[in-house]
Amino acid sequence: MNPRPSTHRGSGLHIAAALTGVSLLAACASTPPVPTTSLQAAQQAIASAERDEASRYAPGELSEARTKLASANTEVAGRKMISAERFADESRAEAELASAKSASAKASIVNTEMKRSTGTLIEEMHRNAGDKP
Amino acid sequence: MNTTNKTLIATAVAAALLTGCTTAPVKPAGAAQARSKLTQLQADANLGSRAPEAIKEADAAVRTAETPEINAPLAAHRVYMADRKVDTARALAEARFAEDQRAALSTQRESARLDARTREADAAHAQADAANASAGSSNQQAMELQRQLDEMQAKVTDRGVVLTLGDVLFTSGKADLQTGATGNLNKLIAFLGRYPDRIVTIEGYTDSMGSEDYNRGLSERRADSVKSYLVGQGIGAMRLTASGKGESDPVADNGSATGRQQNRRVEVIISSPATALSR
Repeated sequence: MNPRPSTHRGSGLHIAAALTGVSLLAACASTPPVPTTSLQAAQQAIASAERDEASRYAPGELSEARTKLASANTEVAGRKMISAERFADESRAEAELASAKSASAKASIVNTEMKRSTGTLIEEMHRNAGDKP
Repeated sequence: MNTTNKTLIATAVAAALLTGCTTAPVKPAGAAQARSKLTQLQADANLGSRAPEAIKEADAAVRTAETPEINAPLAAHRVYMADRKVDTARALAEARFAEDQRAALSTQRESARLDARTREADAAHAQADAANASAGSSNQQAMELQRQLDEMQAKVTDRGVVLTLGDVLFTSGKADLQTGATGNLNKLIAFLGRYPDRIVTIEGYTDSMGSEDYNRGLSERRADSVKSYLVGQGIGAMRLTASGKGESDPVADNGSATGRQQNRRVEVIISSPATALSR
């Protein structure tokens, strides 16, 4: 729900910067390490989306986030770390979108309900007033 | 600014590494669409300022996506990230907007609820007042009637309400009303003015002194005299019937002066159609 702390983003960018370079060098270098940070962040984001009831309010996004994480793990197994990291980051972005959409949907439902009950109240009031001579 | 710098460094590193062996890169496809969605979000009066952190993050992601990139999977990844971050920022802004609206909705509902309660209470009060008023008014009316009858020293009998005007009204042997002796009559007039449905029978009586014919005539003239007075005071003649009963129906013993004085009288019978009078 809340925007990630900026430290994450900063470190993410550091990693991204490093990886950008690394990925371009990959052809002629040894295999990069497993992108543990990104994988963990994706897992956490999915867990958080599940707590936000994303399975109910944003099932498409949540499902996509899980698929991306599974892909990331597959890539790790295939020692394709660059691709694994991208899948993990996309999984996390998707999970965060699922959380945000759930929050928006829930807020909107609450408001709609409030408007409806207020409307009912006013309607009832007018009808009662109309009943009187 | 810091993140921008880092992004620029990252880009520069990437670019530097690329320049050696590739052709000139182009802006990744799809970045423009993400930019357009972001611009729309930022321009939205309701949403543009509601999720500043997320919008800033989305903006950075879009800028990264816009960076010319020859590595197609990386470019696609960046566009994907930018797109999701813009969507996330919009959803968060929408959620906050909805939350911010809730205070106003809550106020609206409270005021509607209060309004409804006030109306209910008012209606209940009005009903109670009406009930009280109707109960009160018939009660009050009866009490007021009773009070006025009491004031006139009227008696409720099976003939109706009987008001006995003593002989002080008349000079001995005369039928003219004495001035200053009309207090009780004025109360009667006020009463009749107030209860216009009541009709009145005026009966004159005498003691047994003198001849029966004379007494009958005198009592009749006295009854008429009372009737005239009432008519003169605005009571409709149609409501009034006057007759002389002479020395009949004495209320006291004619053998004593006190008794005779009691027998010399005019009785005003107020007919009692209303239940209030037949208690």
